[in-house]
Amino acid sequence: MLLCDLHIHTTHSDGSVELRRTVDLFGQAGFDVIAITDHVVNGDNAFGKLARRFNFSIKEDSFKAYMSHITQEAERAWDRYGLLVIPGVEITKNSFSSDKSAHILLIDIKEFIPASWGYEKIFLEAKKQDALIVACHPHRTSEKSFIDTLFLWNNRDKYARYIDAWEIANRDDVFNVISLKKYPYIAGSDFHKVRHLYSWKSMLNCKKDIESIKQCIRSNWGVAITLFRN
Amino acid sequence: MVLFWIFGVVILWGLIIYGLQIIAVRSTLSSSKNREGNSNPVQSFPPISILKPLKGLEDNLFGNLESFCLQDYPEYEVICSFQDENDPAHKVVQKIKEKFPDMPISIIIERCYRGFNPKVNNMFLAYQYSKYPTILISDSNVMVDKDYLKTIVKPMDNPKVGLVCNLIKGTGGKSIGSIFENLHLNSFILGNVCFLDKYLRIPCVVGKSMLIRKRDLEAIGGLRSFKDILAEDHFIGEKIRQLKRRVVISNYLINNVNEYWGLKKFINRHVRWGKMRWKIGGMQYLFELTINPVFIACLPLFLFGLTGKTLSLLFLVCLIKIIGDFYLGRKALTPMHPLVYLLSPIKDFLIGLIWFVPFASNTVIWRGNRYLIGKDTKLSLYPEKGGAWMYRIMHGIKARLV
Repeated sequence: MLLCDLHIHTTHSDGSVELRRTVDLFGQAGFDVIAITDHVVNGDNAFGKLARRFNFSIKEDSFKAYMSHITQEAERAWDRYGLLVIPGVEITKNSFSSDKSAHILLIDIKEFIPASWGYEKIFLEAKKQDALIVACHPHRTSEKSFIDTLFLWNNRDKYARYIDAWEIANRDDVFNVISLKKYPYIAGSDFHKVRHLYSWKSMLNCKKDIESIKQCIRSNWGVAITLFRN
Repeated sequence: MVLFWIFGVVILWGLIIYGLQIIAVRSTLSSSKNREGNSNPVQSFPPISILKPLKGLEDNLFGNLESFCLQDYPEYEVICSFQDENDPAHKVVQKIKEKFPDMPISIIIERCYRGFNPKVNNMFLAYQYSKYPTILISDSNVMVDKDYLKTIVKPMDNPKVGLVCNLIKGTGGKSIGSIFENLHLNSFILGNVCFLDKYLRIPCVVGKSMLIRKRDLEAIGGLRSFKDILAEDHFIGEKIRQLKRRVVISNYLINNVNEYWGLKKFINRHVRWGKMRWKIGGMQYLFELTINPVFIACLPLFLFGLTGKTLSLLFLVCLIKIIGDFYLGRKALTPMHPLVYLLSPIKDFLIGLIWFVPFASNTVIWRGNRYLIGKDTKLSLYPEKGGAWMYRIMHGIKARLV
């Protein structure tokens, strides 16, 4: 089984650990696969404008450098630790109301997708790029009640067909409603600080390459979650 | 006024000892060869079994284990032992095995309850499994260079040498706890180990790296003799000396990688080490406070208030300590940012407070279990239920009387 964390932030957005150190941290801990998913924030409200102003967001002009940095670190991680690093982003549509907010992981993204686009347009573009689409922390969370992201779950009848997996567990929380509905699921740490290394993770029973991993998650076959503790 | 000058004399005494520690470190690290290895021009390389008792993810674990697979040494094996197959370090060892398929790395998993010392428990089966007559007991948080084995094995050419251990330096501090830990390892621990070895001829064995022949270990009763001892490294050294064998401290500095420690972990470790030293050293432990000049220089502040004199004294002592620790750090080739050394006095003050804890408590929490510490750091189980406090007090009185 591959030990995976597909929800990781670095100093490219609001994480506190820079990319190289993040890769080393997960490599030293024996992980098989990680996805770097820094925020791409919508700039159409005050939240987003502030985030973009203080560089807590990947922007269209910084996307290329971001991807190139990940590719460079991915090569190093593979050679040193046998760790597969997948580039991604977290589309961050924040609003003053939790019911209107949503965060979406796009894993193995190739081209920039702005967070200000409509949901359907984002999903279709992500599909076109063959990126894995994950609805993250779709329920009320204990730690982040200030900015819960409930929109996708509340509108699941409309959007579930676009979503490859739902983040059933995030950091220390488990959202069992998703498993009851039998949607495909994964777990991730939403890593921002070193201590978040010890949180919920995904275990995948597949080969260690990007296509197999995406296939495994989409088919929801051989996916398990584990609470990673020291 | 007289009291103030008494403090002044104690501080001066502490600074003189600190100066001697610096000289001892300098002289130990400057000597290019190990004392015991000089005489024999043709060095032998006996095959070595490296025992790695592992529990949990230490900082830099992959890199630490990897460094033992890259040794420039003719014949050796690495045996990693666990108490639990779900231990997260197990996965790291498996990845190391994948990376070095030709390297003889063995994984031993056994849940062992033979004694109270979890590290010794973790080594029993690995020790039985090891195939070479010389073993190296090595902690998981240790990283070494390629020439490590070749260097530490040199003194073993002398048959009178029974145990080789190493000086350690702390590296990699990225959080406040690990910065404090590294500052302490590179000043207090490194300084005292060199001081005791050079001036008092007392080799202070630190269990991070211990090279020993199996026949010598068996002659002192084997691992089973230390299964209930908290300071098993110190007593292995003691027993080897009683066997009329020499204990050599190699001047090869090994890296103790501490990157992301919290303050709590730092405090817990030094409370545990303090209790150990109190149980081993007895009255000598009292002397330790006098060689913490920063803490002693803080006391007049509380007794005489914030006056020009008390503040000047504290400032001067802190300045000397910062410069001294900076020098030691550079001498030990520790890549720490110079500004980090400004935290050195705060660390010393904290260590001064920790010094008092062993007088109030005789229990220790180690790897998740609570134990009572008796004479010679002998561990016994702490009764978690019913009359625990009474038991602790009685145990404390008994231990003092003994």
